[in-house]
Amino acid sequence: MARLRGGLNPVTIVAMTGLVFVVVIPFVFIVAQAIFPHLGRGSLAAPFSAMVGALSDPRLIGMTMNTLLLGALVVGLSALIAVPLAVLRGLFRVPLAVLWDVLFLIPFMIPPYIATLGWIMTLQPRGYLTQLFGVDLATFLFSVPGIAFVMSLNTFPVVYFAVSRTIETVGSRYADVGRVFGASPAKAFWRITLPLATPGLVASLLLVFAMAIEEYGTPAALGTRAGFEVLVTAIDLRVSDWPIDLPGAAILSLVLVILSFAAFLLQRWILTRRSYQTTTGKPQAGARRELGRWRYPVIALFALVAFVAAAIPILAILATALSRTISGGLSLANLGLDNFAAILGDTSGALRALGTSLGLGIAAAITTGFLGALSAYTIVKTKVRGRGLLDVLTILPNALPGIVVAVGLILAWNQPWLPITPYNTTLILLLAYCCILLPQPVRYATAAFHQIGDNLEAAARVAGASPLIVFRRIMLPLIMPGMIASMLLVFAVATRELVASIVIAPVGVSTISTYIWRQFEQGSVGQGMAMAFLTILISTAFPLMVLQLMRRRKGSPML
Amino acid sequence: MLKSVFRVAFCAAALVSASAASAEVTVYTAGPAALIEKLAAGFTAETGIKVNFFQATTGKVMARIEAEAANPVVDVLISASWDTATDFAKRDWLLPYASPNADKVPDFLKTDTAVAQGVSALAIAWNPSSGTPKPSEWSDLAKPEYKDLVNLPDPAQSGATFELVAALSASQGWALFDSLSANGAIVAGANAEALNPVLQGAKAAVFGAVDYISFNGKAKGENIEVIFPASGTVIAPRPVMILNWSKKQDEAKKFVDYVLSDDGQAIVASQNLMPARADIKAERPLIADLKILPVDAEAVYGKRAETLADFAKIFAK
Repeated sequence: MARLRGGLNPVTIVAMTGLVFVVVIPFVFIVAQAIFPHLGRGSLAAPFSAMVGALSDPRLIGMTMNTLLLGALVVGLSALIAVPLAVLRGLFRVPLAVLWDVLFLIPFMIPPYIATLGWIMTLQPRGYLTQLFGVDLATFLFSVPGIAFVMSLNTFPVVYFAVSRTIETVGSRYADVGRVFGASPAKAFWRITLPLATPGLVASLLLVFAMAIEEYGTPAALGTRAGFEVLVTAIDLRVSDWPIDLPGAAILSLVLVILSFAAFLLQRWILTRRSYQTTTGKPQAGARRELGRWRYPVIALFALVAFVAAAIPILAILATALSRTISGGLSLANLGLDNFAAILGDTSGALRALGTSLGLGIAAAITTGFLGALSAYTIVKTKVRGRGLLDVLTILPNALPGIVVAVGLILAWNQPWLPITPYNTTLILLLAYCCILLPQPVRYATAAFHQIGDNLEAAARVAGASPLIVFRRIMLPLIMPGMIASMLLVFAVATRELVASIVIAPVGVSTISTYIWRQFEQGSVGQGMAMAFLTILISTAFPLMVLQLMRRRKGSPML
Repeated sequence: MLKSVFRVAFCAAALVSASAASAEVTVYTAGPAALIEKLAAGFTAETGIKVNFFQATTGKVMARIEAEAANPVVDVLISASWDTATDFAKRDWLLPYASPNADKVPDFLKTDTAVAQGVSALAIAWNPSSGTPKPSEWSDLAKPEYKDLVNLPDPAQSGATFELVAALSASQGWALFDSLSANGAIVAGANAEALNPVLQGAKAAVFGAVDYISFNGKAKGENIEVIFPASGTVIAPRPVMILNWSKKQDEAKKFVDYVLSDDGQAIVASQNLMPARADIKAERPLIADLKILPVDAEAVYGKRAETLADFAKIFAK
């Protein structure tokens, strides 16, 4: 394949500069903190002295195995839920398809710590399930399968949207060719369609794995009772238990990064074994098959997943938000809008937090989308030296726990000699979100670029287009559907990010998640849930509006 | 929302000017949020000095100070654990200050470099509709009536719970905790996390709940009772400290004065904390009403890791 050769193209320069600010600087300081324990006080004394203590902790191996186990379980369960649904959605005319897409968006929009609390309040003894049906499932919930179950419900939409879009792009054309040559429908699917959807599947599973090993809220809330300690909970303990052990936290984070990096190498090995180019510029007929007599079973399957993943947590959140007191339970006398009134009346706190988070979410989505597209293009479509390093840089933050990114950013940007610094301004939150979330658009964009034939670009260059024009007029539009999806994902996660925000928020600034967290911490669970409910509504409606607007302008289905 | 986008962009342009403003003081504080919000508003109204505050748990506040150590920005620190005051004094990070308003604060709630803002105590938080008899002693919760119905906050995450565990295990050994564990009591996260299941009724009681959170819940209509065992409990004074690197020492001192003023202490009392000053009234049991278990901080914190390990072993599955 003829890839572009030659010097540094402007796309590459912008990508590299952006990555230095968003990834390299905080990461270098995290590594430095792991090596130099007294870095926070500006001293490079006693290098490597903390390594031995942290790495010889006898529980380290157990925690690492637990982390891997949880990651594997969540990846497996997410795929089990998402892939069948995505294949049906991509290949067949599923009734109410748009509705299912919207409903499957919701579980992803529910912040994991909120969903977990919702599940606890539903399934624990005397929880909502007991109050309605007289049974509780606490034994299941507070177990390792329970943790994996709750986390998979949050992550499966990532796989669903990636795989259904990929299968849609692959279309049935290649399978039809197979059929012409005598393959059975099943064989054509297993041997042609599914393998061609590998980039989307593998990329999204990698994201799920990274999200699962990096997630703090759910293992912390459910795992302690099961005696299940993972790396992230141990890292958090080191950062919040006096005396604070920043070097220990940094070292354990590097273990997490290594795990995620190994998963990334596996993904890259799978993707580079063969070509997945299906977007060749030839017209595609986007015809989907009819379901026939499978129509109702398929509807039932979609409805079941939507009910468990979206309806139950949302109803639990709403029930808590509408309850005047938690001890009052589900009774008519106990219901009221008091918590919502308190939120809406709190114009200085709640609404400002909402504004801050939504603004930051949009800014983070645009920044990471832009930077992600440029980086992915450089990685996949150019022969620039060092593009492998670029690829590594974009994956590094994937498994960095938010709290460690926050510490790295403070160490980096709170140096006394810096003439100007984003620290203690809202900008530091944007930097944190971009660092944590950059891997997402990059993974999506890389997968998309892998499927674009090189001949398109070559043709444009032959016709006299500059690299910038080629990128803007040909590459960008082709990867746009995947990019939009990943930017919405960034928006969703950035607006609810908790762990980094708590530590790094500038004095006097609240985000949605720190606001909710403070309500919980003071025992105002209802008020926190009311805020969470409003946030989920807004953060689900906003992307849908964006998609609707784009659909109207372009006339092409995105979601 | 768009405004926020602009604000983010604006911040980028206005980075330098942030530190220039004159009369302001930066306060890092452990919760509750409502307390610092009211104190800040009252202080600004009285003195015209702006308060920039950052509120999180004691642990997260400490993490931030530790990471900022090369270029610290905090002037005043309010922790929920007296241990912070001892440790920071040992590191020589604190400015000695005796506020004139601290005269009425009992001696055991102040040092040269720190003074209590308010005090919380640990208690049994019990849900009366849980179908269990009302407990009156710590040891009651190890009885069969409370089988599988007791939560303990994690002493590794809550400084006050750690002191309770240390005090009880020092005076009567680990037998109480052995029997609690055998009775199905579990360790459930930090303070609020341990209380929540009790409110809904999944559990009947919290062993060592922070009292003011439960009082606040009760004030909101939650069905919860706060019981101080007659055999004694521990208190957690919340130290206010001025950092010696502060460039706003005069403003910082004024802030400490305000916290200890009649108005400031009334705000502390309104959050259902015990005011540090002995002459301020509150609508809840005060230190004089409680039996306080002796805690030899030096000895207790000296073997903190050991105590936590013993505790974890007892409650390990």
